[in-house]
Amino acid sequence: MKRRLTALLVIALVLVVQGFAQASEPIETVKTGVDRVIKVLKDPALKGAGKEKQRKEALREAVSGILDFREMAKRSLARQWRKLSDRQKDEFVELYRGLLERTYLKKIEAYQNEKILYKGQRLRGKYAIVKTIVVTSKQTEIPVDYKLLKRGDGWIVYDVIIEGVSLVNNYRRQFKSIIRRSSYEGLVKILREKNEKG
Amino acid sequence: MARKLLLLAVVVSIVLFQFRVNLVSAQDNNKESGFEETEELTIADPIEPWNRLMFQFNDRLYFWVVKPVAKAYSFVLPQDDRVAIRNFLDNLLFPVRFVNCILQGKLKAAGNELLRFGINTTAGVFGFDDVAKKEFDLKGSKEDLGQSLAHYGAGHGFYIVWPVLGPSSLRDTIGLVGDYLLDPLSYIELKTSLAIRTGGYVNSASLHIGDYEDLVQGALDPYISLQDAYVQHRAKEVEK
Repeated sequence: MKRRLTALLVIALVLVVQGFAQASEPIETVKTGVDRVIKVLKDPALKGAGKEKQRKEALREAVSGILDFREMAKRSLARQWRKLSDRQKDEFVELYRGLLERTYLKKIEAYQNEKILYKGQRLRGKYAIVKTIVVTSKQTEIPVDYKLLKRGDGWIVYDVIIEGVSLVNNYRRQFKSIIRRSSYEGLVKILREKNEKG
Repeated sequence: MARKLLLLAVVVSIVLFQFRVNLVSAQDNNKESGFEETEELTIADPIEPWNRLMFQFNDRLYFWVVKPVAKAYSFVLPQDDRVAIRNFLDNLLFPVRFVNCILQGKLKAAGNELLRFGINTTAGVFGFDDVAKKEFDLKGSKEDLGQSLAHYGAGHGFYIVWPVLGPSSLRDTIGLVGDYLLDPLSYIELKTSLAIRTGGYVNSASLHIGDYEDLVQGALDPYISLQDAYVQHRAKEVEK
């Protein structure tokens, strides 16, 4: 009887925990992720000379916590993705991650206490959009939307839309154009060269 | 002459409506299914060689001339002053926004623009300070004739890169010409207006240093990246 009670309790606990996990809202996912990035940026222990590498690493980790590079790479390649072998896919995701990190880490590091306003979320099935506004020091407001996809109990971000311009769509257009002009191999070559330039 | 112009306008309108591209219908879908796969917004680019040439020209113009000048300028003038100048010039463009709000049947936005103009011209001292936004939370709406044409169903037609002015389309170029006629600066002495426009251009560039660099740096094909950013950004503006 006692063992049964324990089992029941465990089950109840699991259910409760799962309930909490499911209650995780897309907007919370974005908020937590963004807060983590800002915390790294404000961390005094990571400021100053000699800390650049450590800081970059911490930022990279924080950003990886929000963005799902694999999903982004897949959507940026669109039709071409299905034609790739698993190894090619992994290789591409890494190149894509390198491309994004190289460009966007710099941008994130330029953060100057811009205010981020969370304007709400819209849900539809396993998809969600979280709307935010970044208020800059120049009195301009930049709308930044995050597109999320349900993954297990949580949410992952698979696209960022800045002033109406979707990152994934922008890359998709470029990748498509390059593949059409040369080939997938040509695209990989360009990506690799770009990443090596650093 | 006037009749010829009218005829030309009619012909161009018909052509534009024929084109329609998929922008307008894509818009409608977007509102509902903006979730999963954003359908691709594309634009016809029949004059790509010319456009790429102009893109190159603008790229060099930016890095060799505009950016150094804007940097020197921002070194001399603090950011707050440059923001004030931008606000002043924006305030002058009130007629453009007001008329286009009305053209699109956005009466509330038109009213807001009118209020903003009144408040900022007086309390904001000729528009240098955006009091309307700060104190009354009255935000402007960046409506222009290109968006009004889109509102009535006109597609982009095709992509055009203009020297100095940058990315545009047939539709938005016609919009630019119309908006020019609504711009008070177009009715003062040409030399003065040109000087003010150039100043405004540099002022605006000084507030955007880094934006273009980011785009180029993140892009594998900067020409396509900028073209797509233009099309996506305009679609968003039309939607609003």
